[in-house]
Amino acid sequence: MGELIEKQIERYETLLREMWTASAKYLGTFSANLLVERVVWEVSQEYREMELLQYNEEGISCAGISASLKKNPDLPANDMFAKFILRYLEILARLLGHEKTEKIAKKLDEEFPGFLLTARGNERWIN
Amino acid sequence: MDKLKTGIKNLDYILGGGIPVYSLNIVSGSPGSGKTIFVQNIIFNSARNGLKSLYLTTISESQFKMVRHLQGFKFFADDFLGDKVIYGDLGAVLREQGTDKVLGYLTEMIKRHLPNIVVIDSFKAIRDIFPDEKAFKAFVFDLAAALSIWEVTVFLIGEYEEKELTLLSEFAVADGIFHLYGQEEKRFQKRYLRILKMRGTNFEHGEHLFKISHAGIEVYPRMKPEDNELQYEVRLGKKGFGITGLDEMLCGGLTEGTITLISGSTGTGKTAFALKFLLEGAEKGEKGLFLSFEEPVAQLQNTARHLGWEIDRYLADGRLDIKFISPIELDVDKHAFEILDIVREKKVKRFVIDSISSFERSVYDLQKYRDYLWAMGQQLKGQHITTIFTVLNEELFSPMIVTKAQISLMADNVIILRYVEADSSIRKVVGILKARGSDHDKALREYEITKNGINILGKLDKADMLR
Repeated sequence: MGELIEKQIERYETLLREMWTASAKYLGTFSANLLVERVVWEVSQEYREMELLQYNEEGISCAGISASLKKNPDLPANDMFAKFILRYLEILARLLGHEKTEKIAKKLDEEFPGFLLTARGNERWIN
Repeated sequence: MDKLKTGIKNLDYILGGGIPVYSLNIVSGSPGSGKTIFVQNIIFNSARNGLKSLYLTTISESQFKMVRHLQGFKFFADDFLGDKVIYGDLGAVLREQGTDKVLGYLTEMIKRHLPNIVVIDSFKAIRDIFPDEKAFKAFVFDLAAALSIWEVTVFLIGEYEEKELTLLSEFAVADGIFHLYGQEEKRFQKRYLRILKMRGTNFEHGEHLFKISHAGIEVYPRMKPEDNELQYEVRLGKKGFGITGLDEMLCGGLTEGTITLISGSTGTGKTAFALKFLLEGAEKGEKGLFLSFEEPVAQLQNTARHLGWEIDRYLADGRLDIKFISPIELDVDKHAFEILDIVREKKVKRFVIDSISSFERSVYDLQKYRDYLWAMGQQLKGQHITTIFTVLNEELFSPMIVTKAQISLMADNVIILRYVEADSSIRKVVGILKARGSDHDKALREYEITKNGINILGKLDKADMLR
């Protein structure tokens, strides 16, 4: 069970890093972190564990969340990360425009086939 | 790119639809230039569109005083206070906690209220508190980044002098710069606004007049001649005066959609000729507008009645409209824009300005006057409106001067009315100096204005009397 969660979180961490790196290309690392800060705050209104996400100029780490999940395995991590990613892309689409965000989303889709489709369900991040 | 509609009259037009959202804008100007009202007008208009604004005062003006002053404006609505328009005091944070707490406070306020617009008034006051330029520059950069990530459109208000606009670091970071200033002209205290920068949208450069009234801010876009060559369809139709001899001299009348100057000294009948041109149009069902800076409506009606012309019927049925603007009240920046609006709205076919000399007198800058007339002329031609500008020639007996400002260059047709001496009496003659694209009579013909109207008589026998 513990290993499964770890693997799952590792996968999310890689996905978030990819997303952060791709968006930092357009926003700059400073603004990319500000965006992470905003989305962390928004998602933490529902899942306080989101505040355990660590980020700095170097990138993103889910170590804190992973440790918390070990203590509280019932946390719906999939939903929490899905909400984070969708919200991040949604804001990004408004800041950068649809075209660039689609490019980022496409890249994520290539590396994590099917994840974005499952995460967003019927939702679209592009308004 | 999405735009924030300011809702201020004509400002969105100047901005190509509005201010790009999430942009950081500086509103600069000296005290009393209207900066605060300008931004308040925008946020209250935005509140009507469902947008929320956070207005943070620093140490220049207390919230209480500001709200008290705003109550006199029509755009103000206290229903929005605390809901769509939220005031906060950034000054207290600055004084009690220092500059390094400002960003944190701002972020907390944004999280609490989730505004679409954030205003800091005055931002210059914050600058003055920072110990050095380097620290302030870093703060401005962080502020701009943080606010844009929160999808907020920002207005930073400051009492900056014009020379500071190219020097200070905040202006390099800003996406948009509005500079407001006043200027004492001959008779009016004028307020102007210039957009010095606006990333992400095309905008109208140059100085635009604005007024502050009970309604709020109203902008009158700068009238300028088109940069591109004027392209318009030339129509061959003729618009007559209904004055037999004159229409013959013009080979049927003025070419449709052209501009004509009627130049003459005082008492030569410029107004009567121009009025008759509109009455002839009204007779044919064409709408005419007579814009008078010289004679009030009643006086023009009397003139027409004395000359045996039916004016009242046309005024009543709307085929003729006379607008009188007192030369004392004439403000070219404002009226030039309004005139074209009326011409468009009323679908005017024949248009008279009596006289453009009054325009000239009310403008402090001759180049500006020429620009106005060129711009108006271009727009009128583009709409195929046949236009007459009367112009006063101050030289009683000289036909040589049409206008001092060389406005005749823009005219397609020039009609000269002048006095001559003959047989120990003063007579009046009319001549066509120019009729672009049309043949015309080159002779000078005597005319008289009687109770039966204007009669064109024969050529003068004693041409040597002409100077």
